[in-house]
Amino acid sequence: MLLSKYEWLLFFHVSGAFLMLGGIVVAWVLGIAAALRERPSEIALLMRLTGVAAAAIGLGMALALVFGLWLVFDLDAYRLWDGWIVGALVLFLLSGATGGIAGNRDTKARRYAERLAREGDVPSAELAARVRDPIALALNLVSSLLAFAILALMVWKPGA
Amino acid sequence: MTLALVRPGSWDFPLFLHVLGAVVLFGGTATVATLATASLGGGRTQAPLLRQLAFVTMLAVVWPAWVVMRVGADWILTKEGLDKDTPGWVGAGMAVSDPGIIVLLLLTFLAWLVRRRPRAGPILAGLAILYVLALGVAWFAMTAKPGS
Repeated sequence: MLLSKYEWLLFFHVSGAFLMLGGIVVAWVLGIAAALRERPSEIALLMRLTGVAAAAIGLGMALALVFGLWLVFDLDAYRLWDGWIVGALVLFLLSGATGGIAGNRDTKARRYAERLAREGDVPSAELAARVRDPIALALNLVSSLLAFAILALMVWKPGA
Repeated sequence: MTLALVRPGSWDFPLFLHVLGAVVLFGGTATVATLATASLGGGRTQAPLLRQLAFVTMLAVVWPAWVVMRVGADWILTKEGLDKDTPGWVGAGMAVSDPGIIVLLLLTFLAWLVRRRPRAGPILAGLAILYVLALGVAWFAMTAKPGS
């Protein structure tokens, strides 16, 4: 079962996409669960577990980008300036940027939850507000929708 | 090479549905594996919460995703005419997805059981991790299409 170079490149590119999008699903499930809790220790634990998702998303983004670009340069059928490839790269950057900003806000909320957990583990309105931060929520939503829009672009390849 | 990259536009939506379901199935199962593994930490007071979340994730994320993935798979197979003449790489995917329903039933049962019998936790975590790995084999078959 010898695979061609194209098949290997495609496999690693798609694996990156799976890790990135799968990681986003993990992050949403754990993030929603954290937002629905009140005790700081529970919120801190669930937000710490999203570290697994963040690692998967980071690794997935790197794999998808590197092997995606490799595919583009390796295949005669595609050009870097093809509309759907430029669109995917723009969405990729925007998704990463909005996700990164939201991730920083989530990290601050997690650190606050960990501090409260060490100081008596009493529910706090301030923590609830930080965990349900509408700006972080909106940024996470935009980042996730952009990532899934890239998947749609990869399938439809408009103009290809 | 170029021919392999071209497909009729009417295949796109079923393919998107299939891949979307597969991605969410992977993420949902990875979530269950993460929660089940984290609940194994000795003396962790939040373990019941993690086990409850694993069970809810099975019902609210994993099962709906499996249905979307499988419906998308059948749809695209019919469109491509591969339902009658199934190539090896499709067979490999189906070998994970169809018997996978038994694994998912077992995972759901274990996720329910582990809330009352925490000793089943390692089995739940192990099986969830194995299923995540099996999904990896399926996506290798689906993307690289060895032997096609």
